[in-house]
Amino acid sequence: MAERVFARKMEKAGFTDVWIGEKVPYGIRDAALYPLFTPELIRLMERVIPPERRGSVAIAVIAKARKP
Amino acid sequence: MDQDLLHQAEVKAAVRTAYEAIGSGGGEPVARRLYREEQLAGLPAGAIAWALGVGNPVLHAELRPGETVLDLGSGGGIDTILAAREVGPTGRAIGIDLLDEMVERARGHAREAGVGAWTEFRRGEMEDIPLPDGSVDVVISNGVINLSPRKSRVLAEIHRVLRPGGRLCVADLTVEEDLPAEILTSDAAWAG
Repeated sequence: MAERVFARKMEKAGFTDVWIGEKVPYGIRDAALYPLFTPELIRLMERVIPPERRGSVAIAVIAKARKP
Repeated sequence: MDQDLLHQAEVKAAVRTAYEAIGSGGGEPVARRLYREEQLAGLPAGAIAWALGVGNPVLHAELRPGETVLDLGSGGGIDTILAAREVGPTGRAIGIDLLDEMVERARGHAREAGVGAWTEFRRGEMEDIPLPDGSVDVVISNGVINLSPRKSRVLAEIHRVLRPGGRLCVADLTVEEDLPAEILTSDAAWAG
């Protein structure tokens, strides 16, 4: 889910003051620390994701919002 | 016949199966990347071993003593315990997780951390949170909402259980550029 989609979904749910920040790149090496990413999946990612994207496959964010 | 055009049931089953299969979390390598030294101090080793988050929502949630905080997808309980420390014994920390065994594990960790008296864990799903309307001051979660095939439903449920003026503070993953099709169609990727 893209950041703008996440923000829009929060607004559609009724939240205000939506803020998304603290953005940290999340790469294949980060994913490999988690057992939910199997070795097979990590190998697949290394095979099909171009080298320039491997350090930032996703972005870890903090999302904040308030219920009015 | 109902058709699950978005394969929601399939995605949910794949996530559950993967989650049931793991024997531990990311452990110290993950915990040390996400949490401050002072947060990790005094935490049970088991809570650290089961760290599976992608950020540090408690650090950003501005929790206050006396508040009721809900940790959605509480896993081994690390964020629930950190939140319980912040809200203190006049507050309440509630963790909800998909798996009974994880709920039991987190209960043990909370007791070991000395916050068991004002912390509780329940089995439940984030698309159908087992709490009344307007019963929570703050909702946190850590790397969990992205796993749901019904993210809008999850956010609607969070909105329902928050009291007016209540806050949401979650750590999660966003993806700005489509991943290759081989990954998007992998069951294992849905769970990660």
